[in-house]
Amino acid sequence: MHSLVVEGISKRYLVPRPLKSQRTETRLERLRSFFSIPLARELLGAQEVWALRDVSFEVERGTVLGVIGGNGAGKTTLLKVISKVIAPTAGRIRGHGRVVSLLELGAGFDDEATARENIFMNAAINGIPRSIAAERFSDIVDFADIQNFVDTPVMYFSSGMYLRLAFSVAINMQPSILLADEILAVGDLEFQERCLQKVRDLARETGLTVLFVSHDMEAVSRICNRVIWIKDGQLHRSGEPEDVVTEYQNAAWEMLTSGEKPEAKGSSHAGRYGEIVDVKLLSADGREIGSPPKWEDVYVRIRFRTYRAKTQARCGVDLFCKGVLVLRSAQPDLIWVIPEMVYEALVKIPASLLSETNYTINVGVTLTRAEREEHALVVNRALTFMVYGADAKDASAGKHRMGVIDPTLEWSLEKKADVVRA
Amino acid sequence: MSSAPEPLSAINVSGESLWLIEPRRDGVIDKLRELWRYRYLWWYFAADALKAMYRRTKLGWIWLVIRVTAPVGISALIFGGVLGIASDGPPYFLFFSCGMTTWILFERSLLVVTRSLERNRKLITKVYFPRLILPLSAVAPGLLYLAILLIVIFFTVIYYRRYEGLWYITLRPELLAAVAAILLTLVFTVSVGLWTSVLQARYPDVRQGIRYFMPFWMYFTPIIYPLTIIPEQWRWLIGLNPMASIVEMFKWGTLGYGHLHPTSMTISFAMIGLTLISGIWFFNREEASSIDKL
Repeated sequence: MHSLVVEGISKRYLVPRPLKSQRTETRLERLRSFFSIPLARELLGAQEVWALRDVSFEVERGTVLGVIGGNGAGKTTLLKVISKVIAPTAGRIRGHGRVVSLLELGAGFDDEATARENIFMNAAINGIPRSIAAERFSDIVDFADIQNFVDTPVMYFSSGMYLRLAFSVAINMQPSILLADEILAVGDLEFQERCLQKVRDLARETGLTVLFVSHDMEAVSRICNRVIWIKDGQLHRSGEPEDVVTEYQNAAWEMLTSGEKPEAKGSSHAGRYGEIVDVKLLSADGREIGSPPKWEDVYVRIRFRTYRAKTQARCGVDLFCKGVLVLRSAQPDLIWVIPEMVYEALVKIPASLLSETNYTINVGVTLTRAEREEHALVVNRALTFMVYGADAKDASAGKHRMGVIDPTLEWSLEKKADVVRA
Repeated sequence: MSSAPEPLSAINVSGESLWLIEPRRDGVIDKLRELWRYRYLWWYFAADALKAMYRRTKLGWIWLVIRVTAPVGISALIFGGVLGIASDGPPYFLFFSCGMTTWILFERSLLVVTRSLERNRKLITKVYFPRLILPLSAVAPGLLYLAILLIVIFFTVIYYRRYEGLWYITLRPELLAAVAAILLTLVFTVSVGLWTSVLQARYPDVRQGIRYFMPFWMYFTPIIYPLTIIPEQWRWLIGLNPMASIVEMFKWGTLGYGHLHPTSMTISFAMIGLTLISGIWFFNREEASSIDKL
């Protein structure tokens, strides 16, 4: 049975059109904008911005649905539409039961009121009478773990206590649907864990449906049953957490690195001291390859040269997976290099070390002259490749959770004879 | 690791309400029903609006008393004492205070009501509740001012009994008209506020405008002067200002000196009704889009 059915939801915002340019750096421009014709902005009319465009999905009861996507993708707008805070421009949403939202930490909270007052205030905002709120009061205080601060104004609370109270109030409002927007970012690990556990338990036991917006991909893949990825206001992908999260992380990592040109700051493949000629991925027999199999050794070849005499060089690689630096390896010793010769450095990545997923390699060469004069040549994202497994068609790859590396470890299992039998 | 959901048939869903969100707005009747469901919230917003009046001050509630008595006292002294405006019978201070009672409720409330959506921006862009609660509960500060002024009037009456031996206000059935005048003021304030609060959310100029417009409105209301200074044949025109009729009604109910003109009363009531109906319509229509602009 569906707890929430979202059908073709769109949301359009009308924002004022900017007056010529928004540049107001100089004093004169600032003065001019101050004395600009009143209402001029209004007369220019508004610009349409679509925060959401034709988003449809269905959520079963008891599902923890992860909502992921970059900043400004429309995740929060989606939650606001579902919680009725803003009205959609088109589409409709059908649902069951009470919707409780945690859109922002302490949104329904009055800082100068005590925790006790805030609990009742929040209950009222959720349409819950005082008498019922009073019954749940001790549960709320216990879960938030603020027994000694019930009559303290919440402005004196630490951000952790604040979060605990907000979360505790929300889950005790007997929601059928809980909307949680990036709320666990503030809490300590122990409380985060307790919240996630609670969310999962409630989903299983009471059929609570949770929409969980988070940038913590680890938490998303752990507690969600399904994940949707919102991109530019549209539903980009929907499916199993592991699939969507992996795809999202790869895309995010590519976005991050693709914009960097070799000449860009911090990424200079050539300089006054030398240049990196090329970087290739080679198989054991010296062929250039695009994606290596998991069971074979693979080599990264760095070709570089120097323009200056009396120079020592050292090469290094950074291996990334899903934006995580998996390893950094550098040549152990500095070697002397002479100008106008091309040098080749080879580094072996042993077989059965990498996992069956995407990797990116950044390459660096440090040229050192006269002890202190050091110059770095860097190629970010020099290589991007995907390691494939024994059975490339095996659909389970990516289905089960894998680490960023997958080395073959030695296991042993022995029968111990000296265990006393009861 | 992933937790398998329970078989769905095992979960009891009875007693859970179905809801629907569409771009189309709910009808006014649905809105009012929802307003009742959220009635617990009224007090919180009312209390919040009251606390906001003297937040962080050391004198606390004493400021409220000063803010009512000082302007009324000084104005009465200038208009009645220095300028010697006639009051048509009762002592000028009493005449002026009675005129001010409903006016102060209107004026002070309208400013708070106008800002009610804007002031709770943080809340209404994050949590859903019927937004109509905000302008409705924002009359609380005005009611408190009214209560203070009524207490002042009470002691003034006692004072005149003691030193002049006259009861200027007595318990008689006409007092009900004064009560009705207060209720009408509330209705009128909220009705105007339904328009201004939505407009204020978009154009912050509204509050500035009201601030400067209010004193003029007060001069067009028979508070500092009696209605009798207006020539008889033009007196009905004052009905175009509903506050004038309300003020007269209050004075008639308390002091017994007011002038209730049937034509102007009818015009005023019609205008209040019109403002109320159009206000509800406007608020319901524009509420959602003004929240986008907050």
